[in-house]
Amino acid sequence: MTGPARLAAVCGGLALLLGVVAVGSLLVGSARIGPGVIVDLVTGRGPLEGAERVVILGIRLPRIAAAALAGGALAVAGAGFQALTRNPLAEPSILGVSAGAAFGVVLAQISGLGQGVVEALGLTAFAFAGAVVAGSAVYLIASTGGGLPVHTLLLAGVIVGIFFSAAITVVISLVDTNRLGGVIHWLLGNLAPIPAGALGVFGATVALGFWLVLGRARALNLLALGEEGAQELGVDAERLKRRIFAGAALLTGAVVAFVGPIGFVGLIVPHAMRMLVGSDHRVLIPAAALGGGVFLLSADTLARTVVAPAELSVGVITSFCGAPFFIYLLRSRAGRVMP
Amino acid sequence: MTTSLRALALCFLLVAGSAWGLEVVDQTGRTLTLPAPPRRIVSLVPSVTEILFAIGAQETLAGVTDFCDFPADAKRKPSVGGMISPSLEILVTLKPDLVVATRSGNRAETFDQLKRLGLPIYLVDPSSVGDVMRLVGGLGELTGHRDGASAVTADLERRIKMVGERIAGRPRPRVLYVLWPDPLIVPGRGALVSELITLAGGESVTADLGAGYPRMSLEAAVGRAPEVIVLASHGGGTPVGRDKWERLESLPAVKSKRLYTADGNVMHRYGPRLIDGIETLARLIHPEAFGPEAFGK
Amino acid sequence: MTPLVQFDGVGFTYPTAAPGHGRFEIRELSFAVAPGEVLGLIGPNAAGKTTVIRLLSKALAPSRGAIYVQGEALSSLGRAEVARRVAVVPQDVAQGFPFTAQELVLMGRFAHAPGRFFESPADVRIAREAMELTGVQALAGETLDRLSGGERQRVVLARALAQEPRLLVLDEPTAHLDLRYQAECVALLRRLHREQGLGILLVSHDLNMAAELSDRLLLMSSGAAVTMGTPEEVLQESTLERVYGCRVVVDKHPTTRRPTVSVLWPDGR
Repeated sequence: MTGPARLAAVCGGLALLLGVVAVGSLLVGSARIGPGVIVDLVTGRGPLEGAERVVILGIRLPRIAAAALAGGALAVAGAGFQALTRNPLAEPSILGVSAGAAFGVVLAQISGLGQGVVEALGLTAFAFAGAVVAGSAVYLIASTGGGLPVHTLLLAGVIVGIFFSAAITVVISLVDTNRLGGVIHWLLGNLAPIPAGALGVFGATVALGFWLVLGRARALNLLALGEEGAQELGVDAERLKRRIFAGAALLTGAVVAFVGPIGFVGLIVPHAMRMLVGSDHRVLIPAAALGGGVFLLSADTLARTVVAPAELSVGVITSFCGAPFFIYLLRSRAGRVMP
Repeated sequence: MTTSLRALALCFLLVAGSAWGLEVVDQTGRTLTLPAPPRRIVSLVPSVTEILFAIGAQETLAGVTDFCDFPADAKRKPSVGGMISPSLEILVTLKPDLVVATRSGNRAETFDQLKRLGLPIYLVDPSSVGDVMRLVGGLGELTGHRDGASAVTADLERRIKMVGERIAGRPRPRVLYVLWPDPLIVPGRGALVSELITLAGGESVTADLGAGYPRMSLEAAVGRAPEVIVLASHGGGTPVGRDKWERLESLPAVKSKRLYTADGNVMHRYGPRLIDGIETLARLIHPEAFGPEAFGK
Repeated sequence: MTPLVQFDGVGFTYPTAAPGHGRFEIRELSFAVAPGEVLGLIGPNAAGKTTVIRLLSKALAPSRGAIYVQGEALSSLGRAEVARRVAVVPQDVAQGFPFTAQELVLMGRFAHAPGRFFESPADVRIAREAMELTGVQALAGETLDRLSGGERQRVVLARALAQEPRLLVLDEPTAHLDLRYQAECVALLRRLHREQGLGILLVSHDLNMAAELSDRLLLMSSGAAVTMGTPEEVLQESTLERVYGCRVVVDKHPTTRRPTVSVLWPDGR
């Protein structure tokens, strides 16, 4: 199958799967609502008022959208970062960006931002600021006169991540125990329905990050030959690295800002997709975007139904999946995971 | 005196307001406009649940949390889940016309979500006995159970006064209250327990520390040489850490064997049972002032 | 005629030193490769042969002097531009490389249209032709680790040909190959040189193969050129003994009459 045809087939199949999972998600939840009502509401024929409308259109649908977007963003960031560093263990949180964004949010919550609509945007702004600070720090630490050496980038990311994690721990240990619950809950990673306006901004940011990474997918393939190998074939490796870094950082920062820190998606989904569709990034990146949406959406649906009416943090579920998957990965494909 | 004046003012407001809808000021000073007195309240705060039952307003309670375990009937009300992440879906399907929540215990994001869903939120943030009295009064106004509320506050005032009389003129021993043993968490400035200790005739050695319930090092606690140590238990198997303290034989409290355990649930909740907390503490701190018949009603 | 490649007083110093040595450097290197010529680059280890390749592919930038490709300064050419003119065939492709032979060869087309997302049908045709030239068209769908050393070599060579370069740079092409594949490699290179008129810069430890294939040889040692000329001129016993530090005998090949170098193996006493 030729390239474009293959891409279309893979995307079609995964989009269908995402659709199915989304519909399934819409049908389940702690409030029992019949499928007939749900269909009516979604197609615009349903009651204009009432609890069911609020639950389906105001709670479940935005949450499903947030999950699909966040999952896709994290998976693409992970795939990009794995290609950039030629390291199978790379995942978005290694960039240090998510720790920085998390620190921003923790600061905001502790300083007790007042109530109101401003609050939600305020938290997002703090998270973004944190992400920018962390990402810039990593970039500045790692870039030398000539370029962005990959091993320094990894180290810088780890260091910056550790720094901000420690900062978070310090803040937590000093804060009033009453506020503690909220902060820790946020740090575990939870999906919540995002208002339409914020969802739009989130979507646009994710689209931009996606474009930054996907736009250079062909060159990313060549990076498998090593930076020098790719350069011999005509790739400007330094510019490519910078662009991929920016894209991955943007995607990660957006997710942490709008949704919260969620681990493992950026690690598991690219590997799983690679096993299914191969290493050609022109197919892998879109597959990761859709597959990530499927994965996180499924995890979140589990998280909010398994112990209803209470809710698990989705980060808990992804970690539970992550650890065994990782072991399987190491054992079955040791050495053959990545170029 | 002031309570009834305030009640009068609120009544006036209520009468004036009912023509166009109800204007209510919650416990943090925010003003809410409700179309009518609330008939279906979801309480995200266990102490508020307790108060609503105590003032006789339990039929207005449409939903509670998993942690609302007192009185026993509260457990029969539909639950929306935990305090940190209540299920928004269930909350919405309960069709409440008011949600009562607190800034210390519920999350700001939850308030945000509720606001977006068009649900009015009545915020409470009590940190003193006086706040609890006002909260009882406020909830009484809100639900139209003013008489029930007055009865509760009057009873609380009476019993606090009784304790005061019993311990009047006695020297105040230094009391260390251990909310949580490891890390060591103690009541500081403005914490309810600090006030309870004072009302019970003791002097909290941690009353000058940070706001709320801060952490403290064991060394610092020992350095303040408490004469009475009260370890809070939180129900069913949570660590009290008694032996850790018994090993500190040089402490006055340990030497005179004044190391006690008390039920945290009555001490930490901003509800009508705080008087049980005061009475328990008073009996532990000043056993000589209270005979076995002391707390008969 | 404008030389295909010209090194003009090129100097380069590596920024860091290997432990125990001074910093390695290339000093004042000047030479040229004429269009359609085969230039063999020989010399002992650490002579600077690999550095020359890296300077030519723009992986490194010279600190002194200039490099010209088809008359244009290398520094003024973009990477893709360089890749369209100069194709490097490295010694090895990384282990665990996940792509198939055809996908690898297609990567050679990148430089011709870096902005394209998918390769054009023309790209695919050129890639297939390159694979036919090196005889690996049947292996198109195989992943690289399933191939033998010789097959892999020919796939990488096909990729270089797909770049449609004017100059082919081969880094130790027969290093890991057995005799049969060495012979096949020489035959292939000869054919390519004849039929395509490609210029070839051949870096090799194998003096005899270099002598066979090259029109001229450049002998380097410790970062500088020692001598340049025809294989007969360069492969003199005294020169080789001085540069390599061991005793050799230079003969003539029984059929081709090109110089062959044989080592006088020491006694060990």
